[in-house]
Amino acid sequence: MEHEEIYLLMMDALDDELPQAGWDDLETHLHTCQACAQEWYALQAIETLLRTTPAIAPPVDLLSRTLGRLPHPAYRTWVIGAVYGLLLLSGILPVVGAMILLGTVGTVLFDPAFLGGLLRSFWESLSLLPVMVSALLNLIGAFVSQQPAIVGVLLMMVGIIMVWGGVYSQLVTTTPRLASANAAA
Amino acid sequence: MDQEQIWLDLARQGDKFAFGSLIEAYQGPVFNLAYRMLGNSGEAEEAAQEAFVRAYTRLDSYDPAHKFSTWMLSITSNYCIDVIRKRRAIMLSLDEPLPPHPALHSDKAAGPESQALMNEQQQMVQTLLQELPDDYRQTVVLRYWHELSYEEIADIMQTTVSAIKSRLFRARRMLAQTGLEMGLIQPAELAAAEMV
Repeated sequence: MEHEEIYLLMMDALDDELPQAGWDDLETHLHTCQACAQEWYALQAIETLLRTTPAIAPPVDLLSRTLGRLPHPAYRTWVIGAVYGLLLLSGILPVVGAMILLGTVGTVLFDPAFLGGLLRSFWESLSLLPVMVSALLNLIGAFVSQQPAIVGVLLMMVGIIMVWGGVYSQLVTTTPRLASANAAA
Repeated sequence: MDQEQIWLDLARQGDKFAFGSLIEAYQGPVFNLAYRMLGNSGEAEEAAQEAFVRAYTRLDSYDPAHKFSTWMLSITSNYCIDVIRKRRAIMLSLDEPLPPHPALHSDKAAGPESQALMNEQQQMVQTLLQELPDDYRQTVVLRYWHELSYEEIADIMQTTVSAIKSRLFRARRMLAQTGLEMGLIQPAELAAAEMV
């Protein structure tokens, strides 16, 4: 018999599901194959070890500690209700506020002169943007040229943080080769 | 209607004491599974508590067509698998002894010698189990300490019966091989020679 067939006989034997004919075939093979005899011996030893090792008893206070962790149903209901209430208010209140605001200052807001002045101010602010960006870049350039050591240290720190961050993410997020089914309970 | 079903119905209505009866009935199997999977009594206790909390908050999703024990063990094993994936450090090495579990120091022991032998046996089993891949270990634990059928194990692990048989087959061979390599099992010829 092929070894794969013998292994199947061994498994059935360990499960107490091997018929007599199978036992005869298994014993015949074990008398002639030292490797299978060795493996069968080891399998039986493991089987005996596992079957004679009792289950581990839980701590005596597991029940009380678990009960203490169970969420309170009424509390959950209140919390969920409060969250929904806040979400509702956070959506309604701005709308109501905007309507009141429009009602009180609407005539001013929609005045053509006011709107024109507003647009002019916005446009003038946009035209100042290149000046502000240029000033900021000049400031940064001056800092880099006057304090190169500080800039170098900062860049080195950023590099170290990125390297260790990459190492950490590889260690933590890498899925191990050992796979198991996910069940949604 | 059996007692367990009564407890479940009361628990769904928010009766924590009814759920406490369920905890009392299943804390042994749940804790044993968690301990065998995680190899650490502290983490096993945390896992057992978390499994029961999750079951309590998801009682509405429990399908009475399945046994409650199967559902409970499914939650426990899934949580343990998540813990193992997050845990990067190896819990045990061959050189480090397993921290003794408080239950191993039970006053119910017949005597110090038998208690020491049992501790050694538990350590041996746990060392062997930690050498297995997670799904193999899970299959072995459910088969040997919970005496579940292949169909029930397949239901918990959401796979087929043939896959479970294959895993158990490979797990047994791995345990045997590991036992020989670690010297926990003497080769057959040595054992035979000692008997002469």
